[in-house]
Amino acid sequence: MQTGHPIVAMLALAVLGAVVCLALRRPRHILAATVIVSALELAFAVYLWVAVLEEGHVTAAEEWFYVDPFSAFHLVVLSLVFLLCSVFAGIYFADETGEHEFGPAVARRFGALWLGSLAAMTLVLLSNNIGIMWVGMEATTLLSAFLISLYPSRSSLEAMWKYLLICSVGIAFAFIGTVFAAASMQSGSGAQAEALFWTRLADPNAHLNPTLIKFAFLFILVGYGTKAGLAPIHSWLPDAHSQAPAPVSAMFSGFLLNTALYCIMRFVPPVRNALGSGFADGLLVFFGALSILVAAGFIVFQRDAKRFLAYSSVEHIGIIALGFGLGPLGSFAALFHMLNHSLSKSLAFFAVGRLGQRFGTHDMATLSGALRGDRLWGLALLGSILSLIGAAPFAIFMSEYQLLRAAVGTEAWVVLVLFLAAASVVFISALRHLIDMAFGDAKSPLVALRQRLPGFVIVMPALAALLLLGLWLPPWLTEAIGRAAAVVGMRT
Amino acid sequence: MSSALSTIHALGLLTCFALLGTSRVGACIRWLSLQGILFSLVPLFFHDDGLGLRVILLAGGNIALKGVLFPIVLLHLRSRANYHREVEPFVGFVASILFGIVALAVSLGLALKLQPALAHAPFIMLEAAIFLVAIGLFLIVSRRNALMQVLGYLVIENGIFVFAVITVAETPLLVELGILLDAFVAVFVMGIAVFHITREFGSADVDQLTTLRG
Repeated sequence: MQTGHPIVAMLALAVLGAVVCLALRRPRHILAATVIVSALELAFAVYLWVAVLEEGHVTAAEEWFYVDPFSAFHLVVLSLVFLLCSVFAGIYFADETGEHEFGPAVARRFGALWLGSLAAMTLVLLSNNIGIMWVGMEATTLLSAFLISLYPSRSSLEAMWKYLLICSVGIAFAFIGTVFAAASMQSGSGAQAEALFWTRLADPNAHLNPTLIKFAFLFILVGYGTKAGLAPIHSWLPDAHSQAPAPVSAMFSGFLLNTALYCIMRFVPPVRNALGSGFADGLLVFFGALSILVAAGFIVFQRDAKRFLAYSSVEHIGIIALGFGLGPLGSFAALFHMLNHSLSKSLAFFAVGRLGQRFGTHDMATLSGALRGDRLWGLALLGSILSLIGAAPFAIFMSEYQLLRAAVGTEAWVVLVLFLAAASVVFISALRHLIDMAFGDAKSPLVALRQRLPGFVIVMPALAALLLLGLWLPPWLTEAIGRAAAVVGMRT
Repeated sequence: MSSALSTIHALGLLTCFALLGTSRVGACIRWLSLQGILFSLVPLFFHDDGLGLRVILLAGGNIALKGVLFPIVLLHLRSRANYHREVEPFVGFVASILFGIVALAVSLGLALKLQPALAHAPFIMLEAAIFLVAIGLFLIVSRRNALMQVLGYLVIENGIFVFAVITVAETPLLVELGILLDAFVAVFVMGIAVFHITREFGSADVDQLTTLRG
């Protein structure tokens, strides 16, 4: 078995980066440090991904860290999103002025919390122990709370307090679920319970206690579901996303939600082993469909562009959860959708954040004529939102199409109808705003921005990737996603 | 062993009702401190295989955090926030006590249901754990001030601690330390948040946090 040095290196690098950011003096250096650390993390993640696909899994520290194709795929998406967000942070914060000035104190706080969150999320994805996984998840809440109120104001403090309290209680529930899962292992006969490893939990011979694992999954789903933004426990999400600085919102939507969903999915194979596939899949489909419907309802009434994107995240997390509940084909679609959503949503938040700086507003009614006002970011807004609402030929159209096929394959007709109805509602109400935002006449004088780093280095590759993935899925990626889907998609 | 647990159980329930019926914040913090110390003692009486170093460390660490350190932080915050009395909670004190009685009955029922699956867990502690979580949740939604919500969160923490101790015989030390550390950091982060809210809004009453809707 090959050694897991990259695993340790990934964790150490993020923690070290956070400490270094505290010591640096100039904001520019701090932003550069976050980009360098994220780029290195991406390199490590890709290396791990390749190693995992070759050998099946990579472990470190006596299996306390364990990476399989499912977590490796998540790691790559995480580091990719983080790299994009870090580069965008360099562009975005350079133009913040007035009381939002990105001074040395704010920069140090941002750098440390930003890389700290990265470390915590990496810990969640790498850890084999469900207790440590929980610790990592709680740490992401505590670290990222102050990223929302990076510039303390009444509304950002309100959003931060809601996030902190609701998610802490949610994560506390997830801990009750974790304890139930551990207890279900001990009262079963075959399993060694001294270490709460999910690899042991997912062992078909673990003989888990059915009552306890049932309770465990309910608490896990509600607990981590709060953090993932599944309806009806999503109430913190629109506030936090609309109040946080744009790079932070992009990271929240682009990956933080996925991390929570990842934790839920780790408990699905054991639940299927113990109770058959109906219980877990039914709950995933129910909460997924509910999230899609609730989000579609709220999207109709949104005026603020960032709140609109936040509700769209609730919708897409719902779609991903729904996919995971629809068997192997659905799991494949869910993972593919996760990649597409992370890319599109971060790009959309970048565009809205940047245009917000130029237009001085996030209100969709006044933010108009983006394409004329700022060609590059206007294009990014148009492309990313078209992708988010599932327009062909962007990648999300393909993953949603695969999801529909999975729904037809499993004969989930009610879900199919609900999904199509909600998707149409979102499509129409988003398009109504988008046409004006992109093609209308500019209504207010634009603020001139210093363009230190050319924005096209993130806009163009991201848009190209979204188009390319919509038209053609490379065979190696198909295989990698398929392997990841097999980890959570097997039905007993 | 069981008589000691019964005493902890009875006194613990009392602290819950005291928290529900007290308006003075300082008194609430002291009740919470007593509750933290009481339930930290559970592992000492529950581990019948003798008092290992680990068990003593776990109990001692928990007492130091929940009995001493957290109350100090909270009392400090109380004077910073100039907040001495919960004047008009969203749910009144008499109604809160009534809720407590209903919650106790429901906890008994739930514990009875869970008992067969968790054969080695002492019944009264199982019931106490569920009750603590319910009371903590209730305090969070029924009290107006952010500081009281932090107290509610800590009551939930106590419940989870009891639940973890009685259901999982052997958790790795590393995990236990991580969990204690998280509770520790959570209180500080929430403390800083309350401090910022107080400075910005002039008080830590959450009914002012209503700008963001829909």
